[in-house]
Amino acid sequence: MEGRGAQAWRWLREHAVNIVAALVVFYLLLPIAVILLFSFNDPSGRYNYTWVGFTFEHWAHAFSRPELNEALVTSLKLALLATVISTIVGTMMALALVRHQFFGRRPANFLIVIPMATPEVVMGAALLSFFLLIGTFSLGFETLLIAHVMFCISFVVVVVRSRLIGFDRSLEEAARDLGASSFQTFRLVTLPLIMPGIFGAAMLAFALSIDDFVISNFNSGTTVTFPLYIFGAAQRGIPVEVNVIAMILFFFTVAAMGFATWQQRRAEKMASVRPEQETGIGVAVGAPAAT
Amino acid sequence: MSSLRRRLSPYFLLGPGTIWLVVFFVVPLYFMAKLSLESGTVGSLEFDWNWSNYSEALSEYDTQFVRSFVYAGAATLLALVIAYPLAYAIAFKAGRWRNVMLFAVVAPFFTTYLIRTIAWETILSDESPVTEFLHAVGLAPSGHILATSWAVIAGLTYNFLPFMILPIYASLERIDVRLIEAGKDLYASAAQTFLRVTLPLSAPGVVAGTLLTFIPAAGDYVNAQFLGGAGNRMIGNVIQSLYLSQADYPSAAALSFVLMALIMIAVVVYIRFAGSEALMGEDTV
Amino acid sequence: MVSSKKDPRRISALVAVLVAAATLALGLAACGGGGGGIEGGGEEREASKVKLEGKASGDLTISNWPLYIDKKTIPNFEKESGVSVKYIEDINSNEEFFNKMQPLLGQGESGGRSIFVLADYQVVKMHKLGYLQEFDKAGLPEVEKNLVASLQHPAFDPNRDWTAPWQSGMTGVIVNKETAPDVKSVCDLFESQYKGKVDFLNEVRETVPLVMKCEGVNPDEATEADWMKAIEKIKGAADSGQIRRFTGNDYARDLTSGDAVAVIGWSGDAVQLQEDNPDLEWRMPTEGCMLWSEDMVIPIGAPNPTAAEAFMNYVYEPEVQANIAEYVNYVTPVEGVKEVLAKRDPELAKNQLIFPSASFTKNCSATPVFKSEEEEQKVIKAFDSVLNG
Repeated sequence: MEGRGAQAWRWLREHAVNIVAALVVFYLLLPIAVILLFSFNDPSGRYNYTWVGFTFEHWAHAFSRPELNEALVTSLKLALLATVISTIVGTMMALALVRHQFFGRRPANFLIVIPMATPEVVMGAALLSFFLLIGTFSLGFETLLIAHVMFCISFVVVVVRSRLIGFDRSLEEAARDLGASSFQTFRLVTLPLIMPGIFGAAMLAFALSIDDFVISNFNSGTTVTFPLYIFGAAQRGIPVEVNVIAMILFFFTVAAMGFATWQQRRAEKMASVRPEQETGIGVAVGAPAAT
Repeated sequence: MSSLRRRLSPYFLLGPGTIWLVVFFVVPLYFMAKLSLESGTVGSLEFDWNWSNYSEALSEYDTQFVRSFVYAGAATLLALVIAYPLAYAIAFKAGRWRNVMLFAVVAPFFTTYLIRTIAWETILSDESPVTEFLHAVGLAPSGHILATSWAVIAGLTYNFLPFMILPIYASLERIDVRLIEAGKDLYASAAQTFLRVTLPLSAPGVVAGTLLTFIPAAGDYVNAQFLGGAGNRMIGNVIQSLYLSQADYPSAAALSFVLMALIMIAVVVYIRFAGSEALMGEDTV
Repeated sequence: MVSSKKDPRRISALVAVLVAAATLALGLAACGGGGGGIEGGGEEREASKVKLEGKASGDLTISNWPLYIDKKTIPNFEKESGVSVKYIEDINSNEEFFNKMQPLLGQGESGGRSIFVLADYQVVKMHKLGYLQEFDKAGLPEVEKNLVASLQHPAFDPNRDWTAPWQSGMTGVIVNKETAPDVKSVCDLFESQYKGKVDFLNEVRETVPLVMKCEGVNPDEATEADWMKAIEKIKGAADSGQIRRFTGNDYARDLTSGDAVAVIGWSGDAVQLQEDNPDLEWRMPTEGCMLWSEDMVIPIGAPNPTAAEAFMNYVYEPEVQANIAEYVNYVTPVEGVKEVLAKRDPELAKNQLIFPSASFTKNCSATPVFKSEEEEQKVIKAFDSVLNG
């Protein structure tokens, strides 16, 4: 019979991985908890660094600071536009790269991967150099949009492409056999089935854009986005409303992700493509932030 | 579909994106190169093949370069050690909890990068419970963690951890379970199975994860700015300062290129060593 | 799917892309407009003058530092004048703001803004480059009347033709009375008992002169060697971990959380910090403080300079300025505010930080002016290399 000590040790070994995993999850969520906690803080002065007291006031008046609101609106507008453009352009590229063999495919692949592998500081600096020397674009919203679309395209391509790779083409063939034109096939069969992937890519692009700080810092001129506002405010005391808005964005993204997952489940049911390892038709990670 | 249309359609699809990337990624690099060879001050810059910008950049900021690579390397290593067990747990032991855990992995992304980092300022502050605990167990000899290199490394690790977890998870998840079962039959212990079957099969994910962590970390400046103190500045801070505060564009451009070149060398060496075609995504349907 | 990396088609495709990119680049460079002013001859410009056009109206955009105005002044001004004001708090650093605006100013534009508030040394540079407009004094009677005597004739703008002070301030030490009661001079910050709990300002024109002063050197007479010696001392403290970090306003973070016990800091901040932590106080260093001013200026290409002058004039009315002084707690440049505040809040009116007496500031130095551009470049470069670690 095993002694108590040996039993405990065995239990520990069996569950070691899970314990570590739980600790890591705690570690990942700790800062978010802190942000949430301090969004309820009631600082007496300008600085929200030490816990003073609990209040709902900042949640109630989250949008009471005009400069913060303006920055937020700018970020949202920028993210929306950048998402739309980069998703469309990126999806087109992914389709080309996955479904066609053509001259220049390798360099195109290369071109997509390189921006993802470049440090943001270099990309931001290069763009700034470009805009300064060219002088055609004035630093501000337009240069921000250009920059954001640029770095989103790669991510959109990668996500949509990974979706397309796991895609069962027999459905398209069936549609074609039934007399649908290639455009109809695309619109009625392909597009709905890859829509969760496109949506995931769009969400990723949106998240990247709204969160971008480094590249925006270099290329925003005098326009202020939400992260840039925070950076400026970090010098003189970040208002509690910033925490509140950050949490609102957080919950909103969670909801959107939940929606995306639900959509994906529906699409899977429609296509009867299940993540079954045996048959090898793997639909990879459902999270939109897949690489 | 006509043969010509079929031949041209990939180019139509590819066109807009490629043009955007070429004009706004490749071309700016050319312009930055041009800027790096100029001299003078703002308002009177002249292109004159001023290679001294590069030599000055290297000699003056060599400490920061080394420091950046050390911090990024340490953060990558730490991230790997932390990420692998979690990815393993999600892939093989999570069951119903899988999506919840994946959510937890991705959740930090949903808060603004700056705010996450600033939250660590609060967590690692000298008088916070976390710091006092770490001090008590001897992990913080000088009494404070914030404003030291460890805080910067900790921040880098945290911020890029999802980049390490997800690729490892993706490649672990793809492993055919039967291979692992076979391994268990062949090898005596679970540890052996892991080392000889699971780990090698997850190599592409590990390689991808380390690259996706190391490269942005090497050029980061936000963590050093908020969590670091005097003497913890990374090369990203210098580039930012030269561009935005001092407006010394030629030096800044030269530094950016040196950084990119160094990273590229490190990456090429690493890929040669690790070897992985899967990174480039060469698959087609 | 592994094909030879030396596939000639692939290489020629790559070359084709690069050639296309290069052509595109040259094309864009050719048709692009003059490089936004960062390249080229660097010509000097004629100073332009504000032309007043009757009563102020329309829109006005102002760029200022954060938390540098109270909440009532702008709405009141809008009501009284009918001007619609856009107040942007986007200045966080003199250099950064200047660098942001420089491409526009080089082309004669101001980014839609009509007033900037920047430090003395920064506006001097901009004036030299011809980026600022001269005032029409007819639009600034209150400024003429109420500017405090000590600020009326600075060396860089003897008749206040193109600057109107916004606020002044003092740089000294802010200490936590409980944890660092004995800090009375900038040199005390080098004591080993405060190791790792001390922040220095990242402003070369404030930190280094203060260190020089506490070593007995007068910043106004300092040689380049004196500057370098002080910078060396600071560097040594940074390397040894004595100095926790170099900060801008963010020393407030360290002070309120207890991570720092004494910092080089600005007088106005201290009053605000006391709301968070009453143990914090600003102290005049025994060797004296640094005095500085931030000025309102009208850039070239500013839309609606008439409204800009109207605003400048408005904030020089003592009642209005009293509101600002109450909130920002810096040294006000307007005469008569003390009396107004005495009626509202007698404690505030006696505050040496807002209304410093001459004896209080007797050892203080003004922002130093470098003897030559080379000296300035050298010193700034040396200090920046300390900042960059």
